[in-house]
Amino acid sequence: MEQIIVNGVVLAANYALIALGLTLIFGILSFLNFAHGQMYMIGGFVVYYVYAIFGMNYFLALLACAMTLFVIGVLFETLFFRRVLRIATREENSMLLAVGTALLLENLALFFFGEKQRGVPPVVTGVYQIFGAYLPAGRLLVLALSALLVVGLLLFVQYTRPGRAMRAVAQDKEVTRLMGVNVDRISAMGFGIGAALAGLAGGLLVTISAINSGIGTAISIKAFIMIMIGGAGVVAGAILGGIVLGFAEAFGYAFMPGSMTYLLIFVGMILFLILRPQGIMGKPWG
Amino acid sequence: MRQALPVSEASLPQLGLTLPRMVALALLALVYLVAIPLYFAQSNYILGVITNASILSFISLGVWVTFAIGRINISQGAFALIGGYTAAILGTRYDVSFWLCLPLAGVVAAAIGTVIGAAILRLRGVYFAMITLSLTEAVRLAFLNGGAFTQGASGIVNIPRPDALSVFGVTIIPAFQGANPMPFYYLAAAVLILGLLAVWRLTTSRLGWVFRSMRQNEELAASIGINVARYRVIAYGFSCAFGGMGGAFIAAFHQNIYPASYSVTDSVYFMLYCFLGGLDFVFGPVVGAFLLVISFELLHDLQQYQALIYGVLMISCILWLPNGILSLSRRRAGPAEENEEPAVAPAAEKMERTP
Amino acid sequence: MSLLQVQELTKRFGGLTAVNRVSFDVEKGEILAVIGPNGAGKSTLFKLITSFLPPSAGRVLFQGEEISGMRPHRVAQRGVVRTFQETTIFREMTALQNVVVAHHLRRRASNLGIFLNSRTARADEAAFRKSAAEILDYLGLGAVKEVEARNLPHGYLRALGIAIAMAAEPRILLLDEPFAGMNPDETERAVEMVRGIRERGVTVLLVEHDMSAVMRISDRIVVLNFGTRIAEGTPAEIQRDEAVIEAYLGREDDEVEAA
Repeated sequence: MEQIIVNGVVLAANYALIALGLTLIFGILSFLNFAHGQMYMIGGFVVYYVYAIFGMNYFLALLACAMTLFVIGVLFETLFFRRVLRIATREENSMLLAVGTALLLENLALFFFGEKQRGVPPVVTGVYQIFGAYLPAGRLLVLALSALLVVGLLLFVQYTRPGRAMRAVAQDKEVTRLMGVNVDRISAMGFGIGAALAGLAGGLLVTISAINSGIGTAISIKAFIMIMIGGAGVVAGAILGGIVLGFAEAFGYAFMPGSMTYLLIFVGMILFLILRPQGIMGKPWG
Repeated sequence: MRQALPVSEASLPQLGLTLPRMVALALLALVYLVAIPLYFAQSNYILGVITNASILSFISLGVWVTFAIGRINISQGAFALIGGYTAAILGTRYDVSFWLCLPLAGVVAAAIGTVIGAAILRLRGVYFAMITLSLTEAVRLAFLNGGAFTQGASGIVNIPRPDALSVFGVTIIPAFQGANPMPFYYLAAAVLILGLLAVWRLTTSRLGWVFRSMRQNEELAASIGINVARYRVIAYGFSCAFGGMGGAFIAAFHQNIYPASYSVTDSVYFMLYCFLGGLDFVFGPVVGAFLLVISFELLHDLQQYQALIYGVLMISCILWLPNGILSLSRRRAGPAEENEEPAVAPAAEKMERTP
Repeated sequence: MSLLQVQELTKRFGGLTAVNRVSFDVEKGEILAVIGPNGAGKSTLFKLITSFLPPSAGRVLFQGEEISGMRPHRVAQRGVVRTFQETTIFREMTALQNVVVAHHLRRRASNLGIFLNSRTARADEAAFRKSAAEILDYLGLGAVKEVEARNLPHGYLRALGIAIAMAAEPRILLLDEPFAGMNPDETERAVEMVRGIRERGVTVLLVEHDMSAVMRISDRIVVLNFGTRIAEGTPAEIQRDEAVIEAYLGREDDEVEAA
């Protein structure tokens, strides 16, 4: 039982990181980043190349990962997203862009990285014991860094100027613009940070499980589950969603085959959403 | 001054089954039904590709109907799976004729879709999109964990090809034999053409206008007496039926079905075909599907570059024509301008974000 | 029996009581206005009567039948049709198409008949187009029938909203601030339009802020303040009513005009 809880906590922290990135983008741009899973995957590969192939320091690899994804996010928002938003006649057309980007990134990854599974050598070794459960040092590192990043992001949106500007844009874009905030710049930054969070989550998780260029869709689905349960566009909701999914997975995997676990998760979630469509913390949409 | 309206938005008198349009359609039909089969009779591969494109367009046409009521439907893969399994189980275990399996698959898919739809259709936008995406995964997992009934990961194989269709002893359609792709080609074509007729009819009728009004303003539609909840379910059920029947066809075509036959990626592609062709056009899904399927095959020779170029092409298409390829047929009057005298100002393609 | 009966209608939002035991009747053929200072609860009352919000207590009866809490399309089926405050129209359709689609309740063909283009369906279509054209002409929109609604200037949109509502053959039409944001000329035209609606046999209940228009058009007026009914009567009576004057002066509302 303790093992399940320990596993759950590690998963929850990492998943929360993924969900936070997605919800940040959704909150600021009202855009569902279908390519979120692919960004996670690219993050993992950056760490793979910098840390495992070029042999550099792991934390340097993480930094490279964050910066790469940040740039990708910013480029996407400024070059693709803004353009499509201007020309599209129907609201749904931005989803077309989301999907197209996911496919593009996945195909790019397939081309450059190939299809093989990749893993990296462990960053730290050893196993700890907590309340009778085993916690490998590698997992502890993932947990610690994930939690650190989550807290970091919370502090960022709460206390820094750009962070507060992002919250303002998420609440009401027009009013924020009238107050003199450069909404375009904030939006680009928001996307960059969201993408970086996804990449970092990937870069962290690659140390304990392998990645390949095709995992994007599966990760995106998990991200969607989390923000659906927790509430889209709300930071607390993302964290809650991460906790719920992390523990659901840990519990489920302990007692039944993986696919059955997820079947139950999906059915449960759909039933939950029928009763409460906005998720736990989401705002009731108009 | 009236602007040229895209096919789906025009009311019947304006639809303009004009002479040029009818000629174009006739030519298209000629190529599709006569020229291609004749010319490529020896190439199973090419006939197979077009058959594939045809049935995928048909399935995607269902998704288009959901778009018509203003919902983003990423669950079509689930209903293709449901239809495919229905046909597979009926065909392999109960010896039901394919010609019964096909409509039955549609009915089963529509029934399930109606029940689920009644519960989820009040969600909108990305929320509905995400829940339908979850539905695709959930159904896949359900079939994977279906025990003896669905045979889990091994799926159902050796699904018989369509048998002969006889009425009162008279054989209308002979049994589909061996490796001959021609019957499947024509069946897919027939299914697609009938599907197009049905959707075109739906969209130009009063029902189409009811859907349009719901898409543009659900509250207003309700206030003038439109039972929004009921029509939403009707549209979604119709959409799922298309998915189910398409799935049944493909099951008989490939003679197998697995939980992995339709995944989230497939559901996404069904939606994508609609987008790429153009959401405002009944022909949209057909254009989108044919374009993507054919271009994917054409790129085959490029091997490892295939996926890459494919992705780049798609994103370029999206960046330059986010409203779909068929939107090129609409006259665009440039950036939005304030209208002072509406009676004389040309109706410009204003892009206004609904607040 | 009065056409519309509002009985002890109450709405609470958490600790706040927005509408408090409001009662009044609307007689067939009259034009009744509900007015009150900002925040008096007019909007909430409107939403309660048109069944877009369920009441916390009390009920609304139309022709003796309870409609409170009924789903919006059913309320419309009974003959109670509302307009909306913002310019709510079907943006991507022409004015004519907007009004044609609003004839939905008058259709005689079944859904299957519509799909198969039966004779009844075609007769419906012809009838709708004729009726829609007539309604648009009557409301002064005849010249812009074929213009897409999103390209119509603001002043026409309010009339189009009413045209849409009229197509649904209401017995009572509920207007949500029909004169909002209008200059004197537009207001005069709108007042004439509302009179015209009554002439067609439709009872009118309107919620409004613009006092001068209300005084000119209404047969009777109900005044709300802080969610409670404080006065009811003819325009002349209301203008003299002390509670009303107090409510408006006390709020430093400078929109009070002696007619």
